[in-house]
Amino acid sequence: MPFPFWSPALHRRLFRRNVTDAVATELDFHLAMLAHDLERGGTDPADARRLAAARFNNLANIAAECRTIGHETERNMRRTLYLQEFLDDVRFAVRQLLKAPAFAIIAVFTLALGIGATTVIFSAVDAVLLRRFAFANPDRAVFVNESFKGQDGNVSAGNYLDWAAMSHSFSALTAEEFRSFNLTTPEAPERVLGGRVTANFFPALGVPPLHGRVFTAADDEPGNDGVVVLGEGLWRSHFGGDLGVLGRPVQLDGEVRTVIGIMPAGFDPTISQEELWVPVAFDAARRAEHDEHYLNVVGVLKPGVTLQQAQRDMDRVSRIERQRFPKDAYGSHVVGVADFITAPYRTPLLLLQGAVLLVLLIACGNVANLQLARSSSRAREMAIRAAIGAGRGRIVRQLLTENLLLAAFAGVIALVLAQLGIGALRVNAPAGIPRLEEAHIGWTVAVFAIGAAALSALLSGLMPALQLSRRDLQGTLRESGRQSQGTIRDRVRTALIVAEVALALPVLIGAGLLLRSATHLQHVDPGFDLNNVVMARAILPAGSPDQHILAIQRVVDDLSHRPGIAAAAMTSQAPMGPGGTSNGLLAEGKPFSQENLVQSRLRLVTTGYLATMKLRLKQGRWFSDQDAAGAPLVMIISEAVARAMFPGENPIGKRVGCCAPNSLKTVIGVVGDVRSNGPAQDIIPEFYLPLGQAPADAWNWIGNIMTVTVRGTTPDPAAATQAIRAAVRTVMPAAPVFRITTMRDALSATIAVDHFNTVLLVSLGVIGMLLAAIGIYGVVGYFVTLRTHEIGVRMALGATGTQALRLLAWQGLVPIVIGLAIGSGLAVSSATLLQASLYGVSAHDPLTYGAVISVLLLAGFLATVLPARRAARVEPMQALQ
Amino acid sequence: MTAVSKDRLRGTLDVLILKTLTWGPRHGYAVARWLEATTGDSLTIEEGSLYPALYRMEQRGWIESEWGTSELGRQAKFYQLTAAGRRQLRLQTAEWRAFVDVVGRVLQPDS
Repeated sequence: MPFPFWSPALHRRLFRRNVTDAVATELDFHLAMLAHDLERGGTDPADARRLAAARFNNLANIAAECRTIGHETERNMRRTLYLQEFLDDVRFAVRQLLKAPAFAIIAVFTLALGIGATTVIFSAVDAVLLRRFAFANPDRAVFVNESFKGQDGNVSAGNYLDWAAMSHSFSALTAEEFRSFNLTTPEAPERVLGGRVTANFFPALGVPPLHGRVFTAADDEPGNDGVVVLGEGLWRSHFGGDLGVLGRPVQLDGEVRTVIGIMPAGFDPTISQEELWVPVAFDAARRAEHDEHYLNVVGVLKPGVTLQQAQRDMDRVSRIERQRFPKDAYGSHVVGVADFITAPYRTPLLLLQGAVLLVLLIACGNVANLQLARSSSRAREMAIRAAIGAGRGRIVRQLLTENLLLAAFAGVIALVLAQLGIGALRVNAPAGIPRLEEAHIGWTVAVFAIGAAALSALLSGLMPALQLSRRDLQGTLRESGRQSQGTIRDRVRTALIVAEVALALPVLIGAGLLLRSATHLQHVDPGFDLNNVVMARAILPAGSPDQHILAIQRVVDDLSHRPGIAAAAMTSQAPMGPGGTSNGLLAEGKPFSQENLVQSRLRLVTTGYLATMKLRLKQGRWFSDQDAAGAPLVMIISEAVARAMFPGENPIGKRVGCCAPNSLKTVIGVVGDVRSNGPAQDIIPEFYLPLGQAPADAWNWIGNIMTVTVRGTTPDPAAATQAIRAAVRTVMPAAPVFRITTMRDALSATIAVDHFNTVLLVSLGVIGMLLAAIGIYGVVGYFVTLRTHEIGVRMALGATGTQALRLLAWQGLVPIVIGLAIGSGLAVSSATLLQASLYGVSAHDPLTYGAVISVLLLAGFLATVLPARRAARVEPMQALQ
Repeated sequence: MTAVSKDRLRGTLDVLILKTLTWGPRHGYAVARWLEATTGDSLTIEEGSLYPALYRMEQRGWIESEWGTSELGRQAKFYQLTAAGRRQLRLQTAEWRAFVDVVGRVLQPDS
């Protein structure tokens, strides 16, 4: 029996035979042979078969064993065969791609850019939104905020303690009060952000200290609280990572505290970047205090308790509190820690992710298009493959392998690009996006990138592969590869243009809307003149209120005499600056109720503040030096306060209660509203008090930190910056000066995230548009090549070049217009998601839509006309030959 | 000659089948009869018990099979050695010789 050759094809045919059948046939043959031999040995033919069967003790067992092994063998074979075919396909694909290096390079880089960009944005989504917070039970950690007229705020000590006592939903309710401390170091005093926390803070979050211990209930008692826990970062930077620091004293705000523990790196449960912790140690007065809202309350839900249940529980508690303290207790709001911190970034990030995915889809469209362009030259190859017996599925598989290979290369390059991109993102992104600095290519991101690459392979390859494998076999072979029937693929290409335009439009519209919004923000009136203004924070040395006032006056005096300074002032809080407290204002004669209270931000100012900031005085007069201690109490309100408290009345001369029990202040002036939190934020009610009449408690409210503001004579902030440092050093040698910035930079910082989003989305929009234009260019160019012959005929029959151009331009423009129509629909339905990021422009702004559609139409038109012009230059004779 | 026990036989069956196939492809029945003829009564191989061994060796790639027509004009499966099978046979033969050698030397009385 000859064995001619051994090939996978033969193998396949062999093993296609049903295993059960094969075993039965084989054993049956054995029986027959046995019977045959017995017969030849003289046994009666009738008995031979029976005797043969009797020789088998175990026929059924043997058959079963053979079947099991046979099935297993078959499975192995199939796997080996598949792998073999796959390797063949890969080898073949490599050869094909090497034969068309230009195509391969363009396709790989197009995909790599798309996948890379998608991966970069996903790394941000992963770091900011998806990754769990690094403490025990992040899913059960909640903020419990006071809520007042829908606004979340901090909690007073009295309310917190009552909540803790009365609520049933939390396994722990902790409180932290953020505060910056003066850390005395050998070099210079330094500002360090710290948290004053309840003793259950660390245990509730479930993160043990890296070294030493955390607070006990005993530490959390007034007089017993001279201890501090350091963050790992501060421990390394200021104490050299020396374990000897445990048990040693450090000076914080002039007080001596003993270091008892060090928290591990990355311990930042509320992404607040505090660097040390001390016990909050409420004293009796603080425990009874329901009015001063400073605490950040973090609770851990009991297992099984939902947010809604906790909210209902807290609603009940708040109702009781409001009855007991109608003046000072508000509602409460329970919200997940992760949700609360990431909420502002969720929609913008997901929108970016969506936009970049659309761009990836457009890139896939272009690669699909490139492949279609190659397919005309490969039609013969496919026909031959089909002729020698390759099924359609097999051909599609082989073609998809080519795409898989392209995508694999693209994926590798994309990961490199993404690594660079993530670096660029972390460097260029504005500060304050929580956890963005943790973005990196970890497992999740890598798996995402691989998924994106696989998806790209499928998307860019499936359609061309199906097209190519469907071709009429005989027709192609007979035509010797000449193009004649492009109709089906024409439809596919036309659909590609429609899809690319439809995908590019929403991204561009989003970009356009954000640009319009950014322009709007640039023209928002801040309410003062921010040119040449520089500000800095300065901490007052410990002292009495009188000493504070004296020191402040002297700094301002000193400053105003320095060269390059046009005006100088100090305030408890400057626009776009940190700090600040707010108070409830009550017009004289109004009954006390939450509705009548107007929560307004307090600004303690020196008299030079009006001139320094160039505020607009709308009514009445500004403070003079006579508005000092002992003089009648006065205040100046912003227009927003005037509108809220005295609608339709003249506020001047009205008296307002605020800031201390039974203290009525006379309104002497109204100033224009200031965009204190930046142009993107709503105006908030504000009021001003003269420094000399600062309420006694105010120094505590502001933590003894003031902001120096100066108006320089030139835009260059150098002189002003130096002057501030010098003046503060002259008057208060030990006082740290920090956060020096120009008002313009501070304003930019408030809209940095919006700005960054705009830059990203506009870049994506432009890339999407370019890719779509390249796609259109390619398709129309193909049409021109395809119809050269036909155009030659037409021109031979008297058609002009212009007519030929029109014919082809039309073929390109129709799908563009259809794409624009579909894209507009997509944009209208998705743009509402953008509304929260837009200022001064509607998500359905007709101007933006019109402009973007025009731009895309123009790009499409150019991409159509450039290749179509070739058609007009066709030489009839050449084309017909 | 004494009869060889079943346990020893099982390990040996593979190498015997491989040896059988060195003279060319043959079907299972032929292998069985050849084994019977050469070993005489010393090895009692149960009828059909070599088939699982054949399937197993095919899975390991030592032998390969093809359907063909037998001397009776019936469909039969013919087995033949692969290169791996030849290698295996050489290996097992060498091992077997070494084993017999060692055991033989140990069991040799007073040598």
